[in-house]
Amino acid sequence: MRLQLRSPRRGTAALFGVCELLALAAVTLPSATARATQDAAARVTFFREPSKENNGINVVHPQLDLGTTLGPDFHFAAGYEVDIVSGATPAVFGPRTTGVDVVTAATKFSDTRHQVHGALAYQRPTSSVALGYSYGWESDYRSSAITGSTSSDLLDHNFTLALSYTHNFDSVCDANNSNIGDQLLDLKPLGRSDHCFKSAETDVATRKLAIDTFQPSLSWTATPKLLLQLGSTIQILDGFQSNPYRSVLVGMQHRTPQEHMPEYRQRYAVYARAIYALPAVRASGLFMARLYQDSWAVQAATGEIVLNKYFGSSLLVTLRGRYHLQGGASFYRDGKGYLELGPGGKYWTGDRELSPMSNYLTGGKVAFLRRPEQEKTSWFVEMELSAKYELLLYHLDSPDAPNADRTKAHIFQVAFSLRF
Amino acid sequence: MPYRYISKRLGPLLALVVVGLGLFALSLGGCSTARWTVKPHQRELLADRIMQPDGNAQETAADDHVLSNREGAIGGSGTSGGGCGCN
Repeated sequence: MRLQLRSPRRGTAALFGVCELLALAAVTLPSATARATQDAAARVTFFREPSKENNGINVVHPQLDLGTTLGPDFHFAAGYEVDIVSGATPAVFGPRTTGVDVVTAATKFSDTRHQVHGALAYQRPTSSVALGYSYGWESDYRSSAITGSTSSDLLDHNFTLALSYTHNFDSVCDANNSNIGDQLLDLKPLGRSDHCFKSAETDVATRKLAIDTFQPSLSWTATPKLLLQLGSTIQILDGFQSNPYRSVLVGMQHRTPQEHMPEYRQRYAVYARAIYALPAVRASGLFMARLYQDSWAVQAATGEIVLNKYFGSSLLVTLRGRYHLQGGASFYRDGKGYLELGPGGKYWTGDRELSPMSNYLTGGKVAFLRRPEQEKTSWFVEMELSAKYELLLYHLDSPDAPNADRTKAHIFQVAFSLRF
Repeated sequence: MPYRYISKRLGPLLALVVVGLGLFALSLGGCSTARWTVKPHQRELLADRIMQPDGNAQETAADDHVLSNREGAIGGSGTSGGGCGCN
């Protein structure tokens, strides 16, 4: 339920009055009386990660989602999104501080990922169940995913138990390395993607990746001002997980095999969230803490604060701060380490995600809201127009870490949504 | 079948969370309703959009998409269906 506070001219004591009535109606009226609604939302995210040495990374990410009620109990939603990625990155991960010639200038690249998704939900006053499907495709990656989720309100709506399960059937294009046997240092990277997923081509191979994701959560309406949530994410990945284009400089003989990562990974996170209402100032605060670990020995802790505040009857301002700290994977070494010591085992990576690092995210959003509550001539129920900017700062533990030349990212987002 | 690989350390943690959440939810049935319940007429604050932990699924998906590609961790952004029980 998405409701907006009414005008402050009606008094602070009744700031949430309309919401009270609508919430009461929503939990007491039979679902058959619910009016049909449709909703549409469009959003574009611009991601810019500049580099001190090359063009960095640029991503444009448009999203379009549509939804409609089907009778009193069903809701159908569908959407389409695109990732348009361009930039430059070194094809070989190696040390930047020792001047090894093999670490050449960055290679320019561009790719476009498309994804369509749809979901059908059956909703009752105290529970819901939904099934969804998504399909994503790009020149070197294909993904099919099915999702099932359920939600049940317990004890007079004071607790909500939600469960979600997703299975991905993914396919990754890789160079055909079937002839190397167990000589892992001979692994060749994928040079280009125009042969991918074509059965007649022998220089490439299609690798499988299965992903199972299970997410339980329990929400508790602790007080009229406080909502608490405890949840978890368990994810199991089985299959090819390396970047097929990336090579890593290993050993003093300057071998540059393709990145080689384990094919099995179990990821586990627990989190707690609290949202507290501050009606005197027409605001709320969200606090989140998360702990994470996985079978590659990555451990992480994350904290986040989000503050929302209404100004007038139509303006909502959001401020967000987030800090993330993680350790590296058991097989990770920086570029200098791989060069001078070689790999720690049979795996090696140039992925910044697997390095010891931290990042800070700060930013804000301004949203213009319109909800003509009693205007019978209005053709829509709710409208929102918003703009957001966030700054992401990376702190890596070594100048020879992956992407050490990219120390920050800018995230711009504009969105428009309508419910009618 | 990937589940045979579940590590000795993570497997019990997974079971603990799932069983713990289930038992907690089941145990609520035996609790005093009055003690735990926030009445419908007390939900005026909770029903507002700024009190929804996952109020905008599209925005959450976009934010997760950015961060999940730049961090080694996942999760923490909630599960669809969680909320204040206002629906």
